[in-house]
Amino acid sequence: MSKIGLIIAREYTTRVKKRAFIVLTILVPLLVVGLMFLAIWLSLEEKKHINVLVADPRNLCGEQIFVGADEKNPPATFYFYAGDLEKAEFLQRQDMDKYDVLIGLGPNVITNKKIGGYYREEPSADAKDYIQDKLELRLEEYFAMDKGISLEEYRSIRQRMDFELESFDNSEEKEIRDKAQMIGLVFSVFIFIFITVYAAQVMRGVIEEKTSRVVEIIVSSVKPFELMMGKIIAVGLVGLTQFLIWVTLIVVLVIGLQTFVFKDILTPENWQGINDQAVAINQISTGMETADMQSMWAKVLFHYVNWPLLTIMFLIYFIGGYLLYGSLFAMIGSAVDSETDTQQLMLPVMLPLMFTYVVSVMIQGNSDGATAVWLSHIPFSSPIIMLQRIAAGSVAPWELILSLVILTITFITTTYLAAKIYRVGILMYGKKSTWKELFKWMRQA
Amino acid sequence: MEMLRVEHIVKQYAGHRALDDISITTRKGEIFGLLGPNGAGKTSLIRIINQITGPDSGKVFLEGREIRRDDIAHIGYLPEERGLYKKMKVREQALYFARLKGLSKSEAKKRLEYWFERFDITSWYDKKVEELSKGMAQKIQFIITVLHQPKLLILDEPFSGFDPINADLMRKEILQLKEAGTSIMLSTHNMTSVEEICDSIALIDKAKLVLNGSLKDVKAQYRTHTYAVQFKGMMFGFANALWADYALSHSYQLDAERAVAHVKLLKGNTLNNLLSQVMPVVEIEAINEIMPTMNDIFIRAVQGEKGGQGE
Repeated sequence: MSKIGLIIAREYTTRVKKRAFIVLTILVPLLVVGLMFLAIWLSLEEKKHINVLVADPRNLCGEQIFVGADEKNPPATFYFYAGDLEKAEFLQRQDMDKYDVLIGLGPNVITNKKIGGYYREEPSADAKDYIQDKLELRLEEYFAMDKGISLEEYRSIRQRMDFELESFDNSEEKEIRDKAQMIGLVFSVFIFIFITVYAAQVMRGVIEEKTSRVVEIIVSSVKPFELMMGKIIAVGLVGLTQFLIWVTLIVVLVIGLQTFVFKDILTPENWQGINDQAVAINQISTGMETADMQSMWAKVLFHYVNWPLLTIMFLIYFIGGYLLYGSLFAMIGSAVDSETDTQQLMLPVMLPLMFTYVVSVMIQGNSDGATAVWLSHIPFSSPIIMLQRIAAGSVAPWELILSLVILTITFITTTYLAAKIYRVGILMYGKKSTWKELFKWMRQA
Repeated sequence: MEMLRVEHIVKQYAGHRALDDISITTRKGEIFGLLGPNGAGKTSLIRIINQITGPDSGKVFLEGREIRRDDIAHIGYLPEERGLYKKMKVREQALYFARLKGLSKSEAKKRLEYWFERFDITSWYDKKVEELSKGMAQKIQFIITVLHQPKLLILDEPFSGFDPINADLMRKEILQLKEAGTSIMLSTHNMTSVEEICDSIALIDKAKLVLNGSLKDVKAQYRTHTYAVQFKGMMFGFANALWADYALSHSYQLDAERAVAHVKLLKGNTLNNLLSQVMPVVEIEAINEIMPTMNDIFIRAVQGEKGGQGE
């Protein structure tokens, strides 16, 4: 095995064998899948159908509630009781057991416009709104007729305006693009977290070797550059390993649970219902191309986003961004004696990363704006920003190539410069270094 | 046969010169002492020989030809600042370093067993370094340094951190390696051990080579021509017999009749002259030349004094 191979093997195995790595690698998928099922379960709970009993002694509603033809799955059904119904009586009578909510239309309704009621179990906010909406509408109709307006006239007045704001450019396409960009954002966040976590691990490893003085023995056998690259590559592989295990475990868990435990929960209809809440989760679901999945999200997920391209580019940009920041973090590690001394040196490196992260959220819905376009070419931000544009499908091939070329040139340059500082830094003990000194070392080496 | 030759090495760091035109040659199979006060440039020179850093100018030759990158497989280096991976097990760690030096895994295992049995420490194999005492870790570090059977062994302060028993063990191991044909470069402040085991020395002070040669020659160079004369008779008479051409530096009574006097010969006088001067007055019992210790030589060389006659 070559020397750099030996270094990679050691760095990789010691990290992968660590308890923290194993625990995190197993725990995260469990947590993700757990939360996912919790979200589905909660959304099912919320959709529980409610039976509403309206005690209407004056027959204001005429024993009917207007339900639109387009309402397929209303959250509540209304029943009527011609007379007053006290709370106690409602609770006592067995034939009332099937009702979840009791609403009384007392004399107050007309004078004070006040309606009150009781529930056995608190309905969801959606259901409450629905009940209020329907009752209000029915009573307004009563008031209108009371004032001599016919039902038809009132309904024609009351009909809601169809109000919609559209972007000047093709609206549906833009909406799809924006939703696709949000999927890119998930990847952005992932890359950001991976880069910070693993680049910091490189730094910590370098500091550990330096403070334990083991570095002097190693560099009497291998070149400092080999040691640095070996470490950076090994930690990157650890990151990819973790990512791979996560994805595999999540897929296996989801399929397993779907097949053996929650046969009914993960139906396409349920998926669609929680689409809006759980975009990220949706990506890993399988076998859902049923005909009725025509929501916007379904379109985005199954037809619009170029998954193979996005996945490949995710890996490429992760590797590029990680090598860029990893070499800078290795450089910082080589210049200090302990982790507490890193603060001052870290700032200029962390700043572009944090900035990009914040901007990546701000450019939502604007994937081809000037900010997004510029930042997707600047190498310090492109790994995070470009994925959003790829997901949104607003990148020309030449842009992608240009961005990758710039990123490659930059990480080769930073690695080269970092290596120069690194080989001086690792043998420099007991000095708190500043950026000024680092540049001096760069010239010296 | 020469082992290592460095020629006109210059190394400049930002602000100061660490090595100024250093040239040294060591012979095969000898123990070469690299001496000098703290900060003189020893570690810089050692790092250049190990190819950890490069010189600004000058060349390094190993066995007569210019040193190459893969020659590091033939060099063993024990740095002054010892260090091992704290969380790594002893065996794993030793194998890792041996393989970095180019040994195969099976060969490294075999040699590791030899050394661990020799030091009787086979029970340490699966211990983590952080569980070992400082002295124990030092032993592991020594084994790691010699495991790949280097032709040239560079030991920076090999005795520091050992108790007297283990320091003695180290000394024996070093001499054993020398017997086996290993050339050794030893950097140390321990002048006693230099006298005991070094064949040649070089002394670097403030980036410059101040002294260089075989231990015998260096000592001869620093002779002060002082003799300890033991005699029977009166110290008063002995002192009176000496003219201005001699200096009586030190004297003491052994008993009522016998005394020892340290006499330094001045102005080209010989021992015979001294004897002819004092023999009429006292009865000479013994006479010995007082040779300078390495300690004296070190201090004098660093403080800029010149040894020898005519002072």
